[in-house]
Amino acid sequence: MSITTERSDDGSTLTIHIQGRFDFSSHQAFRHSYEGADSSITHYVIDMSETTYLDSSALGMLLLLRDYAGGEKSDVRIENCNGDVRRILTISNFEQLFQIDD
Amino acid sequence: MTIDAAFGSGSLRILIADDNQSDRMILHAILTRQGHEVVMATDGMEAVEAFHRENPQMVLLDAMMPRMDGLEAARQIKAAAGEQLVPIIFLTSLSDPESLASCLEVGGDDFLSKPYNRVILRAKINAFRRMRELHQSLQKERDLSHRRNEQMLHEQEMARRVFDNIAHRGCLGAENIRYEASPMSIFNGDVLFASPKPSGGMHLFVSDFTGHGLPAAIGAVPLAEIFYGMTAKGFAISDILRETNRKLQAILPPGVFCCAAMVDLNLKSGHAEVWNGGLPNGYLLRHDGSTDELRSRHLPLGILPADRFSAACERHSMEVGEHLLLCSDGVMESVNGEGEMFGEERILEVIAGGGAPSDVFERLREAVRSFSEGVGSEDDITILDVAMADESLLEAVEPEVLPDTGAGPLDWEMSYELRNETLARFNPVPLLLHICMDVPGLRLFSGELYTIITELFNNALEHGVLRLPSSLKDSPAGFSRYYSERERLLGEITQGAVSIRLEHRSDAQRRGGRLLITVEDSGDGFSEEALSQSLAHNGLSGRGLALVRQFCNNVRLCGKGNCIEAEFVWHTGRSESRSGVFEGGRQP
Amino acid sequence: MSDQQHLDHEALTELRDVMGDEFNILINTFLEDADERLRQITEAARAEDAASFRKVAHSFKGSSINIGAPILADCCFAAEQAGKEENLSHSAEQIAAIEGELATVSEQLRRYMQD
Repeated sequence: MSITTERSDDGSTLTIHIQGRFDFSSHQAFRHSYEGADSSITHYVIDMSETTYLDSSALGMLLLLRDYAGGEKSDVRIENCNGDVRRILTISNFEQLFQIDD
Repeated sequence: MTIDAAFGSGSLRILIADDNQSDRMILHAILTRQGHEVVMATDGMEAVEAFHRENPQMVLLDAMMPRMDGLEAARQIKAAAGEQLVPIIFLTSLSDPESLASCLEVGGDDFLSKPYNRVILRAKINAFRRMRELHQSLQKERDLSHRRNEQMLHEQEMARRVFDNIAHRGCLGAENIRYEASPMSIFNGDVLFASPKPSGGMHLFVSDFTGHGLPAAIGAVPLAEIFYGMTAKGFAISDILRETNRKLQAILPPGVFCCAAMVDLNLKSGHAEVWNGGLPNGYLLRHDGSTDELRSRHLPLGILPADRFSAACERHSMEVGEHLLLCSDGVMESVNGEGEMFGEERILEVIAGGGAPSDVFERLREAVRSFSEGVGSEDDITILDVAMADESLLEAVEPEVLPDTGAGPLDWEMSYELRNETLARFNPVPLLLHICMDVPGLRLFSGELYTIITELFNNALEHGVLRLPSSLKDSPAGFSRYYSERERLLGEITQGAVSIRLEHRSDAQRRGGRLLITVEDSGDGFSEEALSQSLAHNGLSGRGLALVRQFCNNVRLCGKGNCIEAEFVWHTGRSESRSGVFEGGRQP
Repeated sequence: MSDQQHLDHEALTELRDVMGDEFNILINTFLEDADERLRQITEAARAEDAASFRKVAHSFKGSSINIGAPILADCCFAAEQAGKEENLSHSAEQIAAIEGELATVSEQLRRYMQD
């Protein structure tokens, strides 16, 4: 599992790539990936093109991010989920909290 | 036929044909004194008969004889000799250059003028003997080479059969797939796989090993096992790519690698996920005539170690009737009579040539064929053309995945217990999932089962054994602390156990079954109240068991509260999960 | 032509060496065949068969060369040419020449055999 980040050219969007299984072992790396950045970031994108699996602790981590990004006012988008990941997000009704792009 | 073995080196069996008795006697004397065996004939017809009967290695023929003259006799003898080199020397009393030259023109290999000179005759015989020997050794080499070639072709045929046996589980014959895989390309290690997925859609794989011939083709065997095995068990494209890379990296010699492209075609959502490592550009052909390039963005398989390998795919949406085209580099490298390569420009020309996306495959195939027509046997071409199709295609394809749900282990149970320090070091979930995947009917639900087993195991380990309070996870700081505590406690663990019991029974018709998953821990247990509280919880914790509840028919507490039993029921004909959630929806 | 010997003694010495004990048999064979060829060529001339005339003359010429009788060979060659040109008008003279030369050669060859 590895987590990498990317800033957009204008600096306003942070894209977090999660590779492999997104589970409790990722929590430190995930938190680290967004907490260090400066306040000019207004949009967050979670790229799951290489994420094979998501468990309940990962759901928790996503919620933490959302919280950090402004809660109700946050702009966090989740992209490129595979079938299994999508299923878990849907079951957990995360569409109500995040913008999920297929 | 030949009698070389009967004679030592040097002596030959020589046929003499001359209608003059005294001339014959002279020749006979000269030749026998030189150690040769002599066969006599008095005219052309006798000469031909004697040749058939005695198989001489050399013939001395008088050019003009009654009944059949020397020229006709020479022609018949040459014909009878076939592949063997039997020199014919014309005996002649002519002396003018033109006549002598004409002896050679009409088929003789040399001439001997009268009076017969034994020194000259000896020299000529020696010269021809050397020529014969050279001729024979060339023939031997040719025959050997021929045999070796036959053997190689036979081996390749065997390899091909092994390959076909492995690949036969696939769906290359599906309606939305067309392909070209020439025998030469397969022997050179090109690989073309297609397999339906348990959850719907299909995986496709095209690859091209470096190197040629049998060694390259052998690489296809582990590739096939991994591709078909993992696809059938519901693994995702990235898992399959990673495993393939790992395996090839381990077994291939340095310098040998596998240029490949893999596609996960999702018919339900209308998407294709594409991974290209080292194959030439693939093309996505759209209805409006535009083309998306599917570039190689990764290193070929078998090069990078696992921690540097990337299985990131490009995602493309595709409408029904749009096509995806992949080729091995044999297409671009086909040459014509002038030695020019087909090249990417010509591929693009074919694509731009108008018509529907469904026409391109045939046109490309035809273009390559006529381009390299008549130029040797370099026919080393692999082309795959896949169309995005409607979901209903799956119904036709699915039976191949589950040819017999009655097969596999249907009625079994097993227990697995992890104790003490092992709890910190080993995650049993992948192994347990693998066991479940041996049940063909469960392969459609690998995702759900993974979630169920993982969440139950983590719950047992964290709350049961380590006694971490789930309420900690209610705040961001607490969440963090929860997991660092988890790590600390696991590192210090000396006592504790989690056991997982799996029990599977199939229904009477063998078209469905029930998997019972029971996870017990060595802790004090929970009350029913605590359980329902966490199940109903909307906070950051409790999601795990909520997920389990969603996927299972029934979840209940047993034992003294330190044991949870979850029941998962499945049956064929339904590829969606129990709770009715689909893999994304097709965008309108 | 008159400078040539009737028999090529060098060639005959060589032949004797090659044939060894069979030298006499060879000479006798030649002489018998020569008589037969003479008979055949006479018959061909009488029948006005230029093709046969030519063939027999050619064959006789060959054995004459091999035995070492150059003048005899030349006589045969003349006859062969005539036959090739299908001109048998001088066949009588040609046959007479052959016959005469053959007599001389025969006598000399017999002397060889006695040695």
